[in-house]
Amino acid sequence: MSRKSKGRQKLEMVKIPKESNLLVTFSKRRYGVFKKASELATLCGAEITLIVFSPGKKVFSFGHPSVETVIDRFFTRNPPPTSGALQLIEAHRNARIRELNIQLTQVVSQLEMDKKRGEELDQLRKVNEGQRWWESPIEELDLPRLEQLRASLEVLRQNVTKRAEQLLIQTTNHPQFYTPKPAIGVVPFDPKPEGFNTNMMPAAYNYNLGFRSGNGFF
Amino acid sequence: MTRKKVKLAYISNDSARKGTFKKRKKGLLKKVSELSTLCGVDACAIIYSSYDPQPEIWPSPSGAQRVLTKFKNMPEMEQSKKMVNQDSFLRQRISKANEQLKKQQRDNRKKEMTQVMFQALVGNSLNNLNMLDLNDLEWLINQNLNEVQNKIDSLKKEANSSASVAVAGPSGEVKDIAPQQEAEKQASEMNMEAMQKQPWITDWINQQQENMGFLGDDVNVPFWDNNNYNGLWSGPFFP
Repeated sequence: MSRKSKGRQKLEMVKIPKESNLLVTFSKRRYGVFKKASELATLCGAEITLIVFSPGKKVFSFGHPSVETVIDRFFTRNPPPTSGALQLIEAHRNARIRELNIQLTQVVSQLEMDKKRGEELDQLRKVNEGQRWWESPIEELDLPRLEQLRASLEVLRQNVTKRAEQLLIQTTNHPQFYTPKPAIGVVPFDPKPEGFNTNMMPAAYNYNLGFRSGNGFF
Repeated sequence: MTRKKVKLAYISNDSARKGTFKKRKKGLLKKVSELSTLCGVDACAIIYSSYDPQPEIWPSPSGAQRVLTKFKNMPEMEQSKKMVNQDSFLRQRISKANEQLKKQQRDNRKKEMTQVMFQALVGNSLNNLNMLDLNDLEWLINQNLNEVQNKIDSLKKEANSSASVAVAGPSGEVKDIAPQQEAEKQASEMNMEAMQKQPWITDWINQQQENMGFLGDDVNVPFWDNNNYNGLWSGPFFP
Protein backbone atom coordinates (compact mmCIF):
# COMPACT_ATOMS: atom_id res chain seq x y z
CA MET A 1 0.00 0.00 0.00
CA SER A 2 2.76 2.42 0.86
CA ARG A 3 4.46 1.51 -2.39
CA LYS A 4 1.64 2.86 -4.46
CA SER A 5 1.00 6.15 -2.65
CA LYS A 6 2.81 8.46 -0.28
CA GLY A 7 0.63 7.34 2.58
CA ARG A 8 -0.81 9.49 5.34
CA GLN A 9 0.56 13.00 5.52
CA LYS A 10 -0.27 16.11 7.48
CA LEU A 11 -2.48 18.22 5.28
CA GLU A 12 -2.83 21.97 5.31
CA MET A 13 -6.46 23.07 5.32
CA VAL A 14 -6.34 25.19 2.23
CA LYS A 15 -7.46 24.63 -1.30
CA ILE A 16 -5.13 22.14 -2.98
CA PRO A 17 -2.90 24.08 -5.38
CA LYS A 18 -2.29 21.44 -8.04
CA GLU A 19 -5.40 20.66 -10.07
CA SER A 20 -4.63 17.01 -10.75
CA ASN A 21 -4.17 16.38 -7.02
CA LEU A 22 -7.33 18.32 -6.29
CA LEU A 23 -9.40 16.18 -8.63
CA VAL A 24 -8.06 12.93 -7.22
CA THR A 25 -8.63 14.13 -3.68
CA PHE A 26 -12.13 15.19 -4.51
CA SER A 27 -12.97 11.83 -5.97
CA LYS A 28 -11.59 9.87 -3.03
CA ARG A 29 -12.94 12.10 -0.28
CA ARG A 30 -16.34 12.47 -1.87
CA TYR A 31 -16.67 8.69 -1.86
CA GLY A 32 -15.37 8.50 1.71
CA VAL A 33 -17.83 11.08 2.99
CA PHE A 34 -20.74 9.27 1.34
CA LYS A 35 -19.56 6.06 2.92
CA LYS A 36 -19.47 7.67 6.36
CA ALA A 37 -22.96 9.09 5.83
CA SER A 38 -24.23 5.69 4.77
CA GLU A 39 -22.74 4.10 7.88
CA LEU A 40 -24.21 6.75 10.15
CA ALA A 41 -27.64 6.13 8.68
CA THR A 42 -27.31 2.37 9.10
CA LEU A 43 -25.79 2.29 12.56
CA CYS A 44 -27.89 4.99 14.17
CA GLY A 45 -31.00 5.24 12.06
CA ALA A 46 -30.34 8.88 11.24
CA GLU A 47 -31.98 10.62 8.29
CA ILE A 48 -29.38 12.42 6.25
CA THR A 49 -28.83 14.37 3.14
CA LEU A 50 -25.46 15.36 1.76
CA ILE A 51 -24.96 17.59 -1.23
CA VAL A 52 -21.55 18.12 -2.77
CA PHE A 53 -20.71 20.11 -5.88
CA SER A 54 -17.74 18.87 -7.88
CA PRO A 55 -14.86 21.00 -9.19
CA GLY A 56 -16.42 20.41 -12.60
CA LYS A 57 -19.76 21.86 -11.50
CA LYS A 58 -21.52 18.51 -11.41
CA VAL A 59 -23.41 17.71 -8.24
CA PHE A 60 -23.29 14.59 -6.11
CA SER A 61 -25.94 13.90 -3.50
CA PHE A 62 -26.64 11.22 -0.93
CA GLY A 63 -29.87 10.91 1.03
CA HIS A 64 -31.50 8.53 3.43
CA PRO A 65 -34.36 7.72 3.08
CA SER A 66 -33.87 9.93 0.03
CA VAL A 67 -32.40 13.31 -0.82
CA GLU A 68 -35.85 14.70 -1.64
CA THR A 69 -37.59 13.65 1.57
CA VAL A 70 -34.91 15.12 3.79
CA ILE A 71 -34.80 18.38 1.85
CA ASP A 72 -38.59 18.65 2.04
CA ARG A 73 -38.49 18.02 5.74
CA PHE A 74 -35.88 20.75 6.11
CA PHE A 75 -37.84 23.28 4.10
CA THR A 76 -41.24 22.62 5.64
CA ARG A 77 -39.79 22.47 9.14
CA ASN A 78 -42.39 19.92 10.01
CA PRO A 79 -41.83 16.42 11.20
CA PRO A 80 -42.25 14.00 8.34
CA PRO A 81 -45.76 12.73 7.66
CA THR A 82 -46.33 9.14 8.58
CA SER A 83 -49.04 6.60 7.99
CA GLY A 84 -49.54 2.88 8.06
CA ALA A 85 -48.72 2.62 4.38
CA LEU A 86 -45.64 4.78 4.64
CA GLN A 87 -44.41 2.83 7.62
CA LEU A 88 -44.83 -0.38 5.70
CA ILE A 89 -42.86 0.99 2.78
CA GLU A 90 -40.16 2.13 5.14
CA ALA A 91 -40.04 -1.27 6.81
CA HIS A 92 -39.56 -2.95 3.43
CA ARG A 93 -36.87 -0.51 2.47
CA ASN A 94 -35.02 -0.99 5.71
CA ALA A 95 -35.18 -4.76 5.35
CA ARG A 96 -33.66 -4.49 1.88
CA ILE A 97 -30.93 -2.21 3.18
CA ARG A 98 -30.17 -4.69 5.92
CA GLU A 99 -29.74 -7.40 3.30
CA LEU A 100 -27.44 -5.21 1.23
CA ASN A 101 -25.30 -4.39 4.23
CA ILE A 102 -24.92 -8.07 5.02
CA GLN A 103 -23.97 -8.80 1.43
CA LEU A 104 -21.46 -5.96 1.41
CA THR A 105 -19.89 -7.17 4.62
CA GLN A 106 -19.46 -10.66 3.19
CA VAL A 107 -17.84 -9.50 -0.02
CA VAL A 108 -15.50 -7.12 1.78
CA SER A 109 -14.37 -9.75 4.25
CA GLN A 110 -13.77 -12.26 1.44
CA LEU A 111 -11.78 -9.61 -0.37
CA GLU A 112 -9.63 -9.01 2.70
CA MET A 113 -8.91 -12.71 3.04
CA ASP A 114 -7.90 -13.03 -0.59
CA LYS A 115 -5.74 -9.93 -0.36
CA LYS A 116 -3.93 -11.48 2.57
CA ARG A 117 -3.45 -14.66 0.59
CA GLY A 118 -2.01 -12.62 -2.23
CA GLU A 119 0.50 -11.01 0.09
CA GLU A 120 1.50 -14.41 1.44
CA LEU A 121 2.12 -15.64 -2.07
CA ASP A 122 4.23 -12.58 -2.83
CA GLN A 123 6.27 -13.19 0.30
CA LEU A 124 6.78 -16.81 -0.64
CA ARG A 125 8.05 -15.87 -4.07
CA LYS A 126 10.41 -13.23 -2.68
CA VAL A 127 11.91 -15.70 -0.26
CA ASN A 128 12.49 -18.30 -2.97
CA GLU A 129 13.88 -15.89 -5.55
CA GLY A 130 17.12 -15.60 -3.65
CA GLN A 131 17.77 -19.33 -3.78
CA ARG A 132 16.40 -20.21 -7.17
CA TRP A 133 17.42 -17.99 -10.03
CA TRP A 134 14.72 -19.20 -12.36
CA GLU A 135 12.10 -17.70 -10.07
CA SER A 136 13.55 -14.23 -10.48
CA PRO A 137 11.84 -11.78 -12.78
CA ILE A 138 12.69 -12.49 -16.40
CA GLU A 139 13.84 -8.91 -16.75
CA GLU A 140 16.75 -9.62 -14.41
CA LEU A 141 18.10 -12.73 -16.08
CA ASP A 142 21.13 -12.85 -18.31
CA LEU A 143 21.24 -14.44 -21.72
CA PRO A 144 22.61 -17.88 -20.85
CA ARG A 145 20.07 -18.32 -18.09
CA LEU A 146 17.28 -17.10 -20.29
CA GLU A 147 18.15 -19.75 -22.82
CA GLN A 148 18.27 -22.46 -20.19
CA LEU A 149 14.94 -21.30 -18.89
CA ARG A 150 13.41 -21.31 -22.33
CA ALA A 151 14.48 -24.84 -22.96
CA SER A 152 13.15 -26.09 -19.63
CA LEU A 153 9.87 -24.34 -20.20
CA GLU A 154 9.52 -25.96 -23.59
CA VAL A 155 10.12 -29.37 -22.10
CA LEU A 156 7.64 -28.68 -19.36
CA ARG A 157 5.06 -27.64 -21.87
CA GLN A 158 5.41 -30.95 -23.66
CA ASN A 159 5.05 -32.77 -20.37
CA VAL A 160 1.91 -30.86 -19.58
CA THR A 161 0.38 -31.77 -22.91
CA LYS A 162 1.30 -35.38 -22.41
CA ARG A 163 -0.18 -35.44 -18.94
CA ALA A 164 -3.37 -33.85 -20.23
CA GLU A 165 -3.66 -36.58 -22.82
CA GLN A 166 -3.13 -39.21 -20.14
CA LEU A 167 -5.85 -37.67 -18.02
CA LEU A 168 -8.23 -37.60 -20.90
CA ILE A 169 -7.67 -41.25 -21.66
CA GLN A 170 -8.18 -42.11 -18.01
CA THR A 171 -11.45 -40.29 -17.88
CA THR A 172 -12.69 -41.80 -21.08
CA ASN A 173 -12.06 -45.22 -19.58
CA HIS A 174 -14.14 -44.21 -16.58
CA PRO A 175 -16.85 -41.99 -17.97
CA GLN A 176 -18.41 -41.15 -14.62
CA PHE A 177 -15.41 -38.96 -13.92
CA TYR A 178 -15.47 -37.24 -17.26
CA THR A 179 -15.33 -33.47 -17.30
CA PRO A 180 -16.86 -31.92 -20.38
CA LYS A 181 -14.02 -29.45 -20.89
CA PRO A 182 -11.98 -30.37 -23.97
CA ALA A 183 -8.36 -31.23 -23.35
CA ILE A 184 -5.43 -29.41 -24.83
CA GLY A 185 -4.95 -30.25 -28.44
CA VAL A 186 -7.31 -33.19 -28.31
CA VAL A 187 -10.56 -33.10 -30.16
CA PRO A 188 -13.47 -33.68 -27.81
CA PHE A 189 -14.93 -37.03 -28.58
CA ASP A 190 -18.44 -37.83 -29.67
CA PRO A 191 -20.49 -39.01 -26.68
CA LYS A 192 -22.74 -41.23 -28.77
CA PRO A 193 -21.85 -44.92 -28.55
CA GLU A 194 -21.25 -45.31 -32.29
CA GLY A 195 -18.84 -42.46 -32.19
CA PHE A 196 -16.48 -43.69 -29.51
CA ASN A 197 -12.96 -42.46 -29.73
CA THR A 198 -10.77 -44.97 -31.49
CA ASN A 199 -8.06 -44.30 -28.95
CA MET A 200 -9.92 -46.40 -26.50
CA MET A 201 -9.03 -50.01 -26.16
CA PRO A 202 -11.72 -52.50 -27.08
CA ALA A 203 -11.79 -54.00 -23.63
CA ALA A 204 -12.50 -50.66 -22.02
CA TYR A 205 -15.12 -49.98 -24.62
CA ASN A 206 -17.06 -53.09 -23.76
CA TYR A 207 -16.65 -52.41 -20.08
CA ASN A 208 -18.22 -49.00 -20.50
CA LEU A 209 -21.12 -50.32 -22.47
CA GLY A 210 -21.95 -52.58 -19.59
CA PHE A 211 -21.93 -49.68 -17.19
CA ARG A 212 -23.93 -47.27 -19.21
CA SER A 213 -27.32 -46.55 -17.78
CA GLY A 214 -30.35 -46.12 -19.94
CA ASN A 215 -30.31 -42.37 -19.94
CA GLY A 216 -27.47 -41.84 -22.31
CA PHE A 217 -23.82 -41.20 -21.96
CA PHE A 218 -23.77 -38.38 -19.46
CA MET B 1 -9.65 6.28 17.45
CA THR B 2 -10.72 2.79 18.37
CA ARG B 3 -10.00 0.22 15.71
CA LYS B 4 -12.69 -2.24 16.63
CA LYS B 5 -14.51 -3.81 13.71
CA VAL B 6 -18.08 -2.47 13.78
CA LYS B 7 -20.91 -4.58 12.43
CA LEU B 8 -22.79 -2.80 9.68
CA ALA B 9 -26.22 -2.95 11.31
CA TYR B 10 -28.52 -0.81 13.45
CA ILE B 11 -27.11 -0.60 16.96
CA SER B 12 -29.77 -1.96 19.26
CA ASN B 13 -28.15 -0.87 22.51
CA ASP B 14 -29.55 2.61 23.15
CA SER B 15 -26.59 4.17 24.92
CA ALA B 16 -24.08 2.68 22.52
CA ARG B 17 -26.11 3.96 19.61
CA LYS B 18 -26.34 7.46 21.07
CA GLY B 19 -22.60 7.57 21.73
CA THR B 20 -21.83 6.33 18.23
CA PHE B 21 -24.19 8.85 16.73
CA LYS B 22 -22.53 11.80 18.47
CA LYS B 23 -19.04 10.69 17.52
CA ARG B 24 -19.77 9.80 13.93
CA LYS B 25 -21.86 12.85 13.32
CA LYS B 26 -18.98 15.02 14.45
CA GLY B 27 -16.56 13.07 12.27
CA LEU B 28 -18.81 13.25 9.25
CA LEU B 29 -19.22 17.01 9.47
CA LYS B 30 -15.47 17.40 9.85
CA LYS B 31 -14.90 15.38 6.69
CA VAL B 32 -17.48 17.40 4.78
CA SER B 33 -15.77 20.59 5.89
CA GLU B 34 -12.36 19.31 4.82
CA LEU B 35 -13.71 18.23 1.45
CA SER B 36 -15.21 21.64 0.88
CA THR B 37 -12.03 23.52 1.82
CA LEU B 38 -9.45 21.28 0.17
CA CYS B 39 -11.28 21.13 -3.12
CA GLY B 40 -12.87 24.53 -3.08
CA VAL B 41 -16.40 23.24 -3.60
CA ASP B 42 -19.83 24.02 -2.21
CA ALA B 43 -21.39 21.45 0.07
CA CYS B 44 -24.00 21.04 2.77
CA ALA B 45 -25.17 18.37 5.20
CA ILE B 46 -28.46 17.94 7.04
CA ILE B 47 -28.80 15.29 9.72
CA TYR B 48 -31.99 14.33 11.58
CA SER B 49 -31.91 12.00 14.55
CA SER B 50 -34.23 10.73 17.22
CA TYR B 51 -32.22 12.71 19.80
CA ASP B 52 -33.15 16.16 18.57
CA PRO B 53 -36.16 17.56 16.74
CA GLN B 54 -33.84 20.12 15.20
CA PRO B 55 -31.51 18.85 12.50
CA GLU B 56 -27.76 19.28 12.61
CA ILE B 57 -26.83 21.54 9.72
CA TRP B 58 -23.52 22.22 8.03
CA PRO B 59 -22.18 24.78 7.34
CA SER B 60 -25.04 26.77 8.83
CA PRO B 61 -28.78 27.18 8.15
CA SER B 62 -28.16 30.05 5.76
CA GLY B 63 -25.14 28.39 4.15
CA ALA B 64 -27.10 25.18 3.65
CA GLN B 65 -30.03 27.18 2.32
CA ARG B 66 -27.76 28.69 -0.33
CA VAL B 67 -26.36 25.35 -1.42
CA LEU B 68 -29.83 23.78 -1.53
CA THR B 69 -31.09 26.61 -3.70
CA LYS B 70 -28.12 26.20 -6.03
CA PHE B 71 -28.94 22.50 -6.14
CA LYS B 72 -32.63 23.01 -6.85
CA ASN B 73 -31.81 25.47 -9.62
CA MET B 74 -29.95 22.84 -11.56
CA PRO B 75 -31.81 20.94 -14.27
CA GLU B 76 -33.69 17.94 -12.97
CA MET B 77 -31.43 15.59 -14.94
CA GLU B 78 -28.28 17.00 -13.42
CA GLN B 79 -29.71 16.70 -9.93
CA SER B 80 -30.59 13.06 -10.28
CA LYS B 81 -27.62 11.90 -12.32
CA LYS B 82 -25.33 11.47 -9.34
CA MET B 83 -28.03 11.10 -6.72
CA VAL B 84 -27.97 8.04 -4.54
CA ASN B 85 -29.74 6.67 -1.52
CA GLN B 86 -28.74 3.82 0.76
CA ASP B 87 -30.07 1.21 -1.61
CA SER B 88 -28.28 2.42 -4.72
CA PHE B 89 -25.12 3.41 -2.89
CA LEU B 90 -24.77 0.02 -1.25
CA ARG B 91 -25.35 -1.70 -4.56
CA GLN B 92 -22.57 0.37 -6.11
CA ARG B 93 -20.24 -0.57 -3.28
CA ILE B 94 -21.10 -4.24 -3.58
CA SER B 95 -20.50 -4.22 -7.30
CA LYS B 96 -17.16 -2.47 -6.91
CA ALA B 97 -16.11 -4.87 -4.17
CA ASN B 98 -17.09 -7.85 -6.33
CA GLU B 99 -14.94 -6.54 -9.17
CA GLN B 100 -11.98 -6.13 -6.86
CA LEU B 101 -12.60 -9.60 -5.49
CA LYS B 102 -12.63 -11.18 -8.94
CA LYS B 103 -9.43 -9.44 -9.88
CA GLN B 104 -7.75 -10.45 -6.64
CA GLN B 105 -8.78 -14.06 -7.12
CA ARG B 106 -7.44 -14.04 -10.67
CA ASP B 107 -4.14 -12.61 -9.46
CA ASN B 108 -3.91 -15.16 -6.68
CA ARG B 109 -4.62 -18.01 -9.07
CA LYS B 110 -1.89 -16.77 -11.37
CA LYS B 111 0.56 -16.57 -8.47
CA GLU B 112 -0.32 -20.05 -7.29
CA MET B 113 0.01 -21.43 -10.78
CA THR B 114 3.40 -19.78 -11.05
CA GLN B 115 4.49 -21.65 -7.94
CA VAL B 116 3.24 -24.86 -9.50
CA MET B 117 5.21 -24.08 -12.64
CA PHE B 118 8.42 -23.41 -10.72
CA GLN B 119 8.08 -26.65 -8.84
CA ALA B 120 7.34 -28.57 -12.02
CA LEU B 121 10.46 -27.08 -13.59
CA VAL B 122 12.55 -28.83 -10.98
CA GLY B 123 10.79 -32.11 -11.31
CA ASN B 124 7.62 -32.02 -9.25
CA SER B 125 4.98 -34.34 -10.56
CA LEU B 126 2.04 -33.06 -12.56
CA ASN B 127 -0.17 -35.82 -11.25
CA ASN B 128 -1.98 -33.70 -8.69
CA LEU B 129 -3.29 -31.34 -11.32
CA ASN B 130 -6.67 -31.61 -12.91
CA MET B 131 -7.57 -30.59 -16.44
CA LEU B 132 -8.38 -27.03 -15.45
CA ASP B 133 -5.02 -26.67 -13.74
CA LEU B 134 -3.20 -28.13 -16.72
CA ASN B 135 -4.90 -25.69 -19.06
CA ASP B 136 -3.97 -22.75 -16.90
CA LEU B 137 -0.46 -24.06 -16.49
CA GLU B 138 -0.02 -24.37 -20.23
CA TRP B 139 -1.24 -20.81 -20.67
CA LEU B 140 1.20 -19.60 -18.06
CA ILE B 141 4.11 -21.49 -19.61
CA ASN B 142 3.34 -19.93 -22.98
CA GLN B 143 3.18 -16.50 -21.47
CA ASN B 144 6.53 -16.98 -19.80
CA LEU B 145 8.06 -18.39 -22.96
CA ASN B 146 6.99 -15.29 -24.85
CA GLU B 147 8.47 -13.04 -22.24
CA VAL B 148 11.71 -15.01 -22.17
CA GLN B 149 11.98 -14.98 -25.94
CA ASN B 150 11.36 -11.23 -26.07
CA LYS B 151 14.04 -10.64 -23.51
CA ILE B 152 16.45 -12.90 -25.38
CA ASP B 153 15.75 -11.05 -28.62
CA SER B 154 16.24 -7.66 -27.06
CA LEU B 155 19.47 -8.70 -25.35
CA LYS B 156 20.81 -10.06 -28.60
CA LYS B 157 19.87 -6.87 -30.38
CA GLU B 158 21.76 -4.91 -27.75
CA ALA B 159 24.77 -7.13 -28.02
CA ASN B 160 24.85 -6.76 -31.78
CA SER B 161 24.48 -3.02 -31.84
CA SER B 162 26.90 -2.46 -29.00
CA ALA B 163 30.32 -1.80 -30.41
CA SER B 164 32.10 -2.45 -27.18
CA VAL B 165 31.47 -6.14 -26.99
CA ALA B 166 34.76 -7.82 -27.69
CA VAL B 167 33.93 -11.42 -28.30
CA ALA B 168 36.80 -13.82 -28.69
CA GLY B 169 36.66 -16.64 -31.15
CA PRO B 170 34.71 -16.98 -34.37
CA SER B 171 32.47 -14.10 -35.33
CA GLY B 172 28.75 -14.22 -34.84
CA GLU B 173 28.84 -16.73 -32.06
CA VAL B 174 26.40 -14.67 -30.09
CA LYS B 175 23.98 -15.11 -32.93
CA ASP B 176 24.90 -18.70 -33.38
CA ILE B 177 21.72 -20.63 -32.96
CA ALA B 178 22.93 -24.02 -34.10
CA PRO B 179 23.76 -25.26 -30.59
CA GLN B 180 20.31 -24.18 -29.42
CA GLN B 181 18.58 -26.11 -32.14
CA GLU B 182 20.68 -29.09 -31.24
CA ALA B 183 19.74 -28.63 -27.65
CA GLU B 184 16.07 -28.46 -28.45
CA LYS B 185 16.31 -31.65 -30.43
CA GLN B 186 17.95 -33.29 -27.45
CA ALA B 187 15.09 -32.04 -25.33
CA SER B 188 12.45 -33.86 -27.30
CA GLU B 189 14.50 -36.99 -27.52
CA MET B 190 15.15 -37.22 -23.85
CA ASN B 191 13.17 -39.46 -21.60
CA MET B 192 10.30 -37.48 -20.17
CA GLU B 193 9.84 -39.51 -17.07
CA ALA B 194 13.46 -39.32 -16.14
CA MET B 195 13.23 -35.58 -16.47
CA GLN B 196 10.30 -35.38 -14.16
CA LYS B 197 12.11 -37.17 -11.40
CA GLN B 198 15.39 -35.30 -11.53
CA PRO B 199 16.05 -31.82 -10.26
CA TRP B 200 17.18 -30.82 -13.72
CA ILE B 201 18.51 -27.40 -13.16
CA THR B 202 20.28 -28.06 -9.88
CA ASP B 203 22.17 -30.98 -11.38
CA TRP B 204 23.21 -28.91 -14.34
CA ILE B 205 24.26 -26.00 -12.19
CA ASN B 206 26.40 -28.24 -10.04
CA GLN B 207 28.05 -29.68 -13.08
CA GLN B 208 28.68 -26.23 -14.49
CA GLN B 209 30.31 -24.99 -11.38
CA GLU B 210 32.67 -27.87 -11.48
CA ASN B 211 33.49 -27.26 -15.10
CA MET B 212 34.02 -23.61 -15.41
CA GLY B 213 33.23 -21.46 -12.45
CA PHE B 214 30.56 -18.82 -12.09
CA LEU B 215 27.60 -19.02 -14.39
CA GLY B 216 26.46 -15.48 -14.47
CA ASP B 217 29.35 -13.93 -16.38
CA ASP B 218 28.72 -11.86 -19.44
CA VAL B 219 29.03 -13.06 -22.98
CA ASN B 220 32.78 -12.57 -23.03
CA VAL B 221 33.27 -15.62 -20.89
CA PRO B 222 34.53 -18.84 -22.53
CA PHE B 223 30.92 -20.02 -22.13
CA TRP B 224 30.37 -18.87 -25.64
CA ASP B 225 33.49 -20.44 -26.97
CA ASN B 226 32.67 -23.24 -29.33
CA ASN B 227 35.07 -25.53 -27.57
CA ASN B 228 33.08 -25.57 -24.40
CA TYR B 229 29.77 -26.19 -26.06
CA ASN B 230 30.25 -29.92 -26.17
CA GLY B 231 30.91 -30.04 -22.46
CA LEU B 232 27.73 -28.13 -21.81
CA TRP B 233 25.33 -30.00 -23.98
CA SER B 234 26.27 -33.43 -22.82
CA GLY B 235 25.18 -32.99 -19.20
CA PRO B 236 22.05 -34.61 -17.79
CA PHE B 237 20.34 -31.33 -18.36
CA PHE B 238 21.35 -28.72 -20.87
CA PRO B 239 20.64 -25.03 -21.14
